[in-house]
Amino acid sequence: MAQGRPVRWHIAVFLAPAVAVYTALMIIPLFGTLAQSLFNLEAGARVFVGLGNFRRLFGEALWSDAFWNALGNNLWFFLIHMLVQNPIGIALAALLSSPKLRMAAVYRTAIFVPTILSFVIVGFVWKLILSPIWGIAPGMLDAVGLKSLFAPWLGKEEYALTALALVSVWQFVGIPMMLIYAALLSIPDEVLEAAEMDGITGWSQFWKIKLPLILPAIGIISILTFVGNFNAFDLIYVAQGALAGPNYATDILGTFLYRTFFGFQLQTGDPYMGSAIAGAMFGIILIGVCLYLFGIQTRLRRYQF
Amino acid sequence: MGALELKGITKRFGATEVIKGVDLRVEDGEFCVFVGPSGCGKSTLLRIIAGLEDASAGDILLDGVRVNDVAPARRELAMVFQSYALYPHLTVRDNMGLALKQAGIGKAEIRAATDKAAQMLALEPLMDRRPAELSGGQRQRVAIGRAIVRTPKLFLFDEPLSNLDAALRVATRIEIARLHRDLGATMIYVTHDQVEAMTLADRIVVLRAGKVEQTGRPMDLYNDPDNLFVAGFIGSPQMNFLNAPALSAPGATLGVRPEHLQVSRSAGAIEGQVSHVEKLGGETLAYVKSALHGLLTLRLFGEHDFIMGETLYLSPEPQRQFHFDAEGLRLRIV
Repeated sequence: MAQGRPVRWHIAVFLAPAVAVYTALMIIPLFGTLAQSLFNLEAGARVFVGLGNFRRLFGEALWSDAFWNALGNNLWFFLIHMLVQNPIGIALAALLSSPKLRMAAVYRTAIFVPTILSFVIVGFVWKLILSPIWGIAPGMLDAVGLKSLFAPWLGKEEYALTALALVSVWQFVGIPMMLIYAALLSIPDEVLEAAEMDGITGWSQFWKIKLPLILPAIGIISILTFVGNFNAFDLIYVAQGALAGPNYATDILGTFLYRTFFGFQLQTGDPYMGSAIAGAMFGIILIGVCLYLFGIQTRLRRYQF
Repeated sequence: MGALELKGITKRFGATEVIKGVDLRVEDGEFCVFVGPSGCGKSTLLRIIAGLEDASAGDILLDGVRVNDVAPARRELAMVFQSYALYPHLTVRDNMGLALKQAGIGKAEIRAATDKAAQMLALEPLMDRRPAELSGGQRQRVAIGRAIVRTPKLFLFDEPLSNLDAALRVATRIEIARLHRDLGATMIYVTHDQVEAMTLADRIVVLRAGKVEQTGRPMDLYNDPDNLFVAGFIGSPQMNFLNAPALSAPGATLGVRPEHLQVSRSAGAIEGQVSHVEKLGGETLAYVKSALHGLLTLRLFGEHDFIMGETLYLSPEPQRQFHFDAEGLRLRIV
C-alpha cells in the first residue's frame, strides 16, 4: 500500500511490562537452566559437554537408578490422581449439582477448603494423623474394630507413595469438583428436561447426556493434574524430607531435582546435573502437554448452548 | 387415542398459587393453543401435563387414565422446547433416535423412523450434522422431528417459534399446521402471541393469572368474547374500549374493534384528533385521540391520507359493539 499504516507503537508499549516481567522471571531462567544442563565442571573449570549430562542421567547407574525410580514414582503419583482424585471430583460435582441436595454450599466449601491450605500444614497434619505412635488413625480404626488394618503407611516402602498420593488427592479433590460442577451447571435445564421426556433419567442421563457435555472440562482437569503432579515437590518434602524416604520410595522428580541441585546432607549440590534433571522434567511435561493438545484436545468438541 | 383431561389442576410454588384450578378437555386430534400474557401460568400448565412439574392438586387424565404419578417418558407425549433443547453432542439422526434407543428399539426400526421424520421435515441432508452446525429454523425442525419420531399420543409445544425471525416464524407456523393435518395427532401449543393462536388453533384457551378466562374456537373468541380481557387480548390491533356512559350505551365499557369504526370528517358519535398514522399498504391504521375515550385505533382498508391533528368523527358500527360491566364481564344485550 502506498500510504501504509502508521506503526502501532501502542501495542508494543502496552505489552512491554508483561513481556518484560515474564521474560525476566520465566523465559531467561528457563533457557538459562536448559543451557546450563549442557555444561559441567571438569578440573574446576566449566566446560561444554553437549548432551553428556543427559547421557549420565539416563544411562549411568549412579544417576539413572535414581532418575528412573523418581520417574516411575511420579507416574504412579499421577496415576493415583487420575484414578482417584478425578473420578471422585466428578462424582462429588454430580452430587452437588443435584437439586435435591440440601446444604450444597456447605459441602462445597468444606470439600474445597483443603485446597487453599498450605502444603506444609497438610503434610504435617497427615503425618500426625497417620503416626503409629501418637496419631489418631490407629485409635479411630480401633474404635470401629479395624485396628488390624492399620499399618505405619508413611513408613513402609510399599505404601508410602500411595499414602502420600492419597493425601494429595484429599487436598486437591476440590479443584476437579469445582470445575466439573461449573460445567454441569452450564448445561441448560431444558436439555435435561428434553432427556427426561425421552426417558433418559438418572444414571443413563449422566452417562449419555451430562458426561459427554463435560468431557472438555475433564480434559482440562487431566492436563492440569498432569502438570501439577510432575511439578510436585512440596508435599513429599514436608512429609518425608528431601531424602523422600523410606529408602527413596516416595522420591519423585521434584525431590530428586532438589537433592541434586542444592545438595542434601552428605550429597553436595551439582547445579549442572540439577539443570539436566530440570531439563528432563521440562521435556516430559512438554511432551505430555503436546500429546494432549494435538492428540486429545482437537478431538474434544466444545459445545455452546 | 390422545384425549387429555385436566380436573381442578392447581399449582403452588411455596405460598403463591400460579395455577388456580384449571378444568379442561382436549379432544383427540385437536389443536389446542394456550395463550395469555407472560406469567399467566400457561407454560407451567404445559409442564404439568408433560410431567416436568407435579400438580399440587387435581388430576391429569390421558385417554381416561390418571397419569399424575407416571414418569414423563411413560406418558407417551413429546415436547418441543422454546430453546429447542437439542443434545449438542449428538448428530441430528442421534438426537431424533435417542428416545427410541433408550426404549430398546432395534437399530433398523430407529433408522426407518428417523428417516420418515426427516423426510416429513426436509431434514435428510442434515442428518449427520450436529446442532451447532444448524440454523435456528433447522434446529427447530430437528426438535419437532425428535417429537414426531416417538409417535406420541400428544404433542406439547412450548413457544416453539419465539426464537425465530419473523419470516421463519410464518413458514414454521405453516409447517406445524401441515404436520397437524398429516399426523392427525393431538397437539397442545403454548404461546403469548395471539396471531399464532388464531392461525393454528382448533380451540384457544385464554389464560390469565392461572385461570382460564375463556375457551373456544378462534372466531368465537374474536366475535363473542366473554370479558374485557379476552376481548382485548384476541385481535390485533387491540379492540378499542370506549367510555360507555359518555355514549349513553349500557354498561361501563363499550368495546369496538378498530375495523368496526366508521369514520367521517363532518359528523359522528366520537370526536377526536389524528395523532399518528401507520400506512401498511393493504391497510391504514390511524390513531385518534379523543378527550372522552383516550387513544383509539382506527383500521381502514387500503390507503388513506390524514393530516396530523385533523379532527375526525368516529361512529361504532351498531351490530359490532360489545358491552362490558364495571367488572369487565360481557353484558349480552340482544
